[in-house]
Amino acid sequence: MIVKVDNLVKRYGNLVALDHLNLQVNAGEIFGLLGPNGSGKTTAINCILSLLKYDKGDIHVFDKPMSPEAYDIKKDIGVVMQDVAVFNELTVHDNIDYFCGLYIPDKKERKKLVDEAIEFVGLSDYRKFYPKKLSGGLLRRLNIACGIAHKPKLIILDEPTVAVDPQSRNKILEGIVALNKQGATVIYTSHYMEEVEQICSRIMILDKGKTIAQGTKDELKNMISLGEKITVEVFDITETQLKEIEALPHITSVIYDGKLVEIRSTKSKNNLEKVLEYIKTEKISFGKIYSELPTLNDVFLEITGKELRD
Amino acid sequence: MQVFKLCLKIFKKNLPVMSIYFGVFIMVSIIMMSNNRPTEQAGFIQAKTRMVVFSEESSPLIDGMKEVLSDIAVFEAIEDDENQLQDALYFRRISYILRIPENFTEDFLAGKNPTLSVTSVPEATSKIYIDMRLDQYLNTANIYVNQIPGIDAQTLNTYTLEDLDYETPVQMLEADQTFGEEGMMPYYFNYLAYTFMFVVIMGISTIMLVFNDLNIKRRNACAPMSSTSVTLQFYLATMLFSLLSWALLAGLSLLFSRNELSDSNTLAFILNSFVFALSSSSIAFLIGNLVKGREAISAIANVFTLGSCFISGVFVPQAILTDSVLKMASFLPTYWYVRGNTLIAISADFSKALMIQLAFAVAFFILAIVVGKKKRMAIEA
Repeated sequence: MIVKVDNLVKRYGNLVALDHLNLQVNAGEIFGLLGPNGSGKTTAINCILSLLKYDKGDIHVFDKPMSPEAYDIKKDIGVVMQDVAVFNELTVHDNIDYFCGLYIPDKKERKKLVDEAIEFVGLSDYRKFYPKKLSGGLLRRLNIACGIAHKPKLIILDEPTVAVDPQSRNKILEGIVALNKQGATVIYTSHYMEEVEQICSRIMILDKGKTIAQGTKDELKNMISLGEKITVEVFDITETQLKEIEALPHITSVIYDGKLVEIRSTKSKNNLEKVLEYIKTEKISFGKIYSELPTLNDVFLEITGKELRD
Repeated sequence: MQVFKLCLKIFKKNLPVMSIYFGVFIMVSIIMMSNNRPTEQAGFIQAKTRMVVFSEESSPLIDGMKEVLSDIAVFEAIEDDENQLQDALYFRRISYILRIPENFTEDFLAGKNPTLSVTSVPEATSKIYIDMRLDQYLNTANIYVNQIPGIDAQTLNTYTLEDLDYETPVQMLEADQTFGEEGMMPYYFNYLAYTFMFVVIMGISTIMLVFNDLNIKRRNACAPMSSTSVTLQFYLATMLFSLLSWALLAGLSLLFSRNELSDSNTLAFILNSFVFALSSSSIAFLIGNLVKGREAISAIANVFTLGSCFISGVFVPQAILTDSVLKMASFLPTYWYVRGNTLIAISADFSKALMIQLAFAVAFFILAIVVGKKKRMAIEA
């Protein structure tokens, strides 16, 4: 077990930020912590890293108890904070060299690692740039390079793609997968469900400091009753026909906005087939038709009754 | 030694800005030193007022009056013509016209209090001096007239002049403490307080601001390095910066006063400035722990440095400052530093001033550590 958190409780005055949180991260996985803003993701990460004191619970990293003085554990952890933590007075190269130097004292080895990190995040053309000259996306990449240059066994990334352009976001996500393939275990926090779905092998959904679900994305989607969402582009449909579709087995709701009919259903093997059959029988002329599986947002919505990005 | 090296890199990055401050302050110091250096020995020379005396009689009493006035006046020869006299007054060729009427001596000896006619430039301070001198002479003479009935004008004049010849010697005690004997060193070292304090507060606070950034603090705390090691490396680098700044300024003082190097007090000045460097660095640590923005550092460095230097006697001698100001200033190390320089200049014992500065250094340093620890605990809570 790379990280094991048992019954973690963290309070800020009367506010319970983490309520008996249990978490296990296995070697080689990309573990996603998903939750809306204020759900306790960053607090959990800060507690795991011993940056925050907590009220109750046990935290083990690499099967050893974690503490602020656990330097033998810290040397194998790479951290990419939510807020960019770099020195504006140092160049891209010098920033990475400084943070890498906190872990790797040997100058020769460090030089190689710094060059690799610069290459890895695609900042080779910006080595001598100061952070203030970098765009938001490039700055995030620098932040990541500072966290991973020393090739840690465990990489913790706390919302590394906030306020990043799509191109840089893809580059960052590809990089995280590549790091994982190179052998690093990754803990990735985000409130972007698409990112978590895209890269994480196992996901924990947090809300108000509590775990509301965890598992692989398929396991999570299987937890809810919601089946696929069928969208049909129709040119002419009557109120009666809409009501008849809604009356089909397993269909829970039908919404028509004048152009698209959105049909939601509970889990069943042939919902799409039945809808298509009805449209054919009624000779309703239609354009595009597509079906979507439930998303993590649907999982969150069904469990908590609110949108993930509320 | 990553943190130590990083601090030096940040200092290096700020070097151009610091150099401007150093350059400007050194230039200002030199100019101020030149302006304040006494060009002659402390003393007093009475300025003389240009005046005209028209007397309608001649007597020993009037001669005596003129003799007394000659100490503070220069008698001009101008024709007794109203237009000419008005022109002379208007263009300030003269400031005072004294008219002595006929039978003045006779009336004075008879105790009749005759009047003198005076025309002067309005609100001229010189008029007051002439009036005072005249009053002094005539009042003294009047005493003799009252006490020795029938005294003649010659005797009266002799007695009065004898009395007015007496002078009370006044010794300017504080003036003795001016730096005439010590050359420019005390001035330079006094102004050093301003330059050094400003540069050190700016330098140390700027780097503390970088390290006190919450994100940087947390990021450093993730590394396998103890907080004690980080703190020690940080203090080592900042103390090196202070030491180099002090060495530069103290070194320049030796350059400026190379002719006075043989003076044994030179070492005392340098020692005093070194202890002041310690207390200033401690203040800089405290300010660095309290301020949150780069603009705030600049503002505080300016206000604190200028304020403490003004009330502590860096720009004006402590002797001129009021007791209440000095009492307030005595809660600052700058006051004791200037006091130390003053004592060194007159070769007096300055160990008390030195010890108090050291106490300030320790107190501010402990305070800075306590504030820093409180902030750290607040972050971890």
